[in-house]
Amino acid sequence: MSAARTLSMRDALYEAPGPRTRRRVRIGTMVSAVVVLLAIAAVVRQFWVTGQLAPRYWSLFLQWTTWRFLGQGLLGTVAVALTAGAIALVLGLLLMLGRMSGVRPLAALCRVVTDFFRGVPSLLLIYFFFFVPAQLGLKLPSFWMLTLPVALAASGVLAEVFRAGVNAVPRGQVEAALSIGLSRGKTMRKIVLPQAVRYVIPSLIAQLVVVVKDTTVAYVVSYPDLMQNARVLITSYDALVSLYLVIAVIYILINYAINKASVAVANRTGVKIVR
Amino acid sequence: MGLSELLSTYGEKYLQGLLATWSMTAVSFVFVMALAVVVTVARVSPYRPLRVVGDLYVQVFRNIPGVALLIIIAYALPELRIVLDWRTCVIVTTILLGSAFGSENFMSGINTIGVGQIEAARSLGLTFTQIIRRVVIPQALRTTVLPMTNLLIAVMLTTALGSQVPLSPQELTGVVSYVNTRATGGILAFLVSALCYVGTAFVISLVGNRIDKRVRILR
Amino acid sequence: MSQEQAAEKNVPVIELRHVDKHYGDLHVLRDVSLSVQRGEVVVVIGPSGSGKSTLCRTINRLETIDSGQILIEGELLPQEGRELARMRSELGMVFQQFNLFAHMSILDNVTLGPREVLGQPKEEAEKHALELLARVGVAEQAHKVPAQLSGGQQQRAAIARSLAMRPKAMLFDEPTSALDPEMINEVLDVMVELARGGMTMIVVTHEMGFARRVADRVVFMADGQIVEEGAPDDFFDHPRSQRARDFLDSIKGH
Repeated sequence: MSAARTLSMRDALYEAPGPRTRRRVRIGTMVSAVVVLLAIAAVVRQFWVTGQLAPRYWSLFLQWTTWRFLGQGLLGTVAVALTAGAIALVLGLLLMLGRMSGVRPLAALCRVVTDFFRGVPSLLLIYFFFFVPAQLGLKLPSFWMLTLPVALAASGVLAEVFRAGVNAVPRGQVEAALSIGLSRGKTMRKIVLPQAVRYVIPSLIAQLVVVVKDTTVAYVVSYPDLMQNARVLITSYDALVSLYLVIAVIYILINYAINKASVAVANRTGVKIVR
Repeated sequence: MGLSELLSTYGEKYLQGLLATWSMTAVSFVFVMALAVVVTVARVSPYRPLRVVGDLYVQVFRNIPGVALLIIIAYALPELRIVLDWRTCVIVTTILLGSAFGSENFMSGINTIGVGQIEAARSLGLTFTQIIRRVVIPQALRTTVLPMTNLLIAVMLTTALGSQVPLSPQELTGVVSYVNTRATGGILAFLVSALCYVGTAFVISLVGNRIDKRVRILR
Repeated sequence: MSQEQAAEKNVPVIELRHVDKHYGDLHVLRDVSLSVQRGEVVVVIGPSGSGKSTLCRTINRLETIDSGQILIEGELLPQEGRELARMRSELGMVFQQFNLFAHMSILDNVTLGPREVLGQPKEEAEKHALELLARVGVAEQAHKVPAQLSGGQQQRAAIARSLAMRPKAMLFDEPTSALDPEMINEVLDVMVELARGGMTMIVVTHEMGFARRVADRVVFMADGQIVEEGAPDDFFDHPRSQRARDFLDSIKGH
C-alpha cells in the first residue's frame, strides 16, 4: 500500500529510530567501522611483513602474456562448463521424465540414479573417470575425463530442479489437458514441460555456478583450465599467493555474475526461483 | 579385484575413511552453524559496516570454488606465516563455504516471517529483544530445518576436498584415489565409498524430514 | 497523571494535534487533529489512499510523524525504548492481515503479551486468555495454530490477543478488509459487543453499516486531511462537503 511497507525484512526488524536509538546506532556504526578497518589493516600488515606485497609478486599482472595465458585457461573452463551444462541439461531432463513416467521400474531406476549423483562428491566422480576407463583400456581425452563427471554430478541436481518446475505447474492444467483428450505424453510435452522449463530457467542458470566450481579440479586430469594454467604460472613466476588470490577473485566474479543473471532473468520473466 | 579381496585388503582403510568423513563433517557443521549465526547477526544488525562485511562474506564464500579456497588456505596462508595442519585446512575451508550458505538459509527463514507479525509484537509492547527471542528466532529456526539438512549433506560432500591434501587418515574420496594408485580397483572401489556417502546422506535427510515434520510451521 | 485524574479532567484518551506526515513527495497526513474521549467509538472512513490507515498506525508509532503531537491520556507518545513499549501495551491494535504469530497456538498468541510484557504467571494469563477466547467465540480453537483457523476466527483471536493486555483503547486498521464476505459479520459482531461494553475505539473501515450502527462519531478523510466529522446519522444523511457526497455516492452505486 505505502512505500514504507515494502521494506526488506532485515530493515523491518527495526522501527524508525528515536533520538536515543539514532545516537546509539551512530556510535555502533563508528565502532564497527573502526573494527573493520583494523581488521583490514591487520591483513595488509601480514602481507607486508611477509613480503607478499613486493612488486615481483605482482608485476606479472602487468604483462600481456600473463593475461593471455590465463585467458586461454578461462576458455578451457568455459568450454568444459558449457559442454557439461548442456549434457547435464539433457540428462537431467531425461532422469526427471523417467522418474515421472509412471512406469514403475523406470521411475525407480531414475530415482536411484538421481539420488546417487546428488549424494556423492563430484571429486569422487572425477577420480572415477580418471582411473576406471584407463583400467578398462579406454583412452579418454582429459577434456572428457573432466566434463563427464561434472555433467553427471549436475544432472542429478537438474533432474530435481526440473521436477520442482513440473510440480509448480498447476494441477488443473493437466486435468484440463487430459479432459480434452490429450494423451499423457502429449500433455507432458505440450502443456506441462513448456511451462515447467519457463519456471526453472533462473534455477538452471544458477546451477551453472556449481558446474563452474566443479571444473576447478581440472588439474587432477591435467586439463588446462583457468586453475591449471594458474598453477603453471605459479611454477614459472614463483608468485603463489598473488596468483591464487587473483584467480579466486576471477572465479568469484564469474559466479557472482551468473547469480546476478539468474536473478535478473527471474525478475524479468516474473517467476519465482524454484529450487 | 572382487569385493571380498577389496575389503580384506583395504577394508580398514575404507572404515577409517568413513569415520574421517563423518568426524570432519560433524566438526565442520557445528562451526558452520555457529559462524552462520554470527554472520547473519552481522547482516541484520543496524550497523552498516557490519552489514556490508556480512554481505561480502556471503558473496565471496558462496561463489568461490572449494578447491580454490582450500588451495589458498593450505598453500597460500603458510606464505603469510599462518600454518594449519592438513585436517584443519579442510575443515576451515568447509566451515567458510558452509557458513555462507547457512547464513543465506537463516536470511530466507527470517524473510518468511513477514513484517506484520513484527508489527503485531511491537503493538503488544514487546521490546526489540523480546521480539527477536520469541517471534523471529523460533520461526527462523523452524523454517530452516530442511535447508539446513541439505546443507549438512553438502558439508559432507565438501569434506571430499580432503582428497586434495595429504590427510592422515584419509577420508572416503582420498581412500579411493589411494586404492586406485596401488591396484586396479575398478568400479567396485568407487562404489564402496559412493555407497558410504549416499547412505549417510539418506540417513541425514530421513532424520531431517522427521524433525521438519514435527516443527514445521503451517502457513 | 493517573487514570482517575485523567478521567476527571476530561483529558482525551487519544489526541492528535496538527499531525503531518510525508512519504517522499506524498503528503499523506495534512495537519490532522483528532481527539477521542473515554468510551467513544470513532469510525474513520474515506477512499483508499486517503491516509486513514496511516493515521491509525501513527497512534502507536508503527508509523512516525514529521510534525505535530500525539498524546495518550495527555502524555506525549514516547519515541522509543521501554517507555514506547509500555505505552503500546496500553493500546490494542488489530490489523487487516490478523498477523497472528504463525508458530504459536492461539492460546500462546493470546498469553504472549501478558506473560512477556506484564509479567503475569502462566496460569493467570491462560485463564484470562480462555475467557477472552470464549468471549470472541474461538475457545475450541485455543490449541490450534493460526493456519488451521478461518480468516474470521483468526481475526477474532487477534482481537482477543489485544484485549488480553486490558488496553485503554483499541485501534482497528481495516479489520474486515481481508475477510471473505461471509466472515465479516462474525468479526463485526465482536466489535459491536466491545463498543457496547464501553471500549474506547478508533476503527478504520469500509463497513458503512457498522459505522452507522456503532460509531459515536464518523471521521471522513480524503487526501490526508480530515474533511468532515460528525454524528453518523448527520454525516450519512447530510454530508456537508462535496468530497464526502462523492464518496458516499460512489459506494452506494453497488
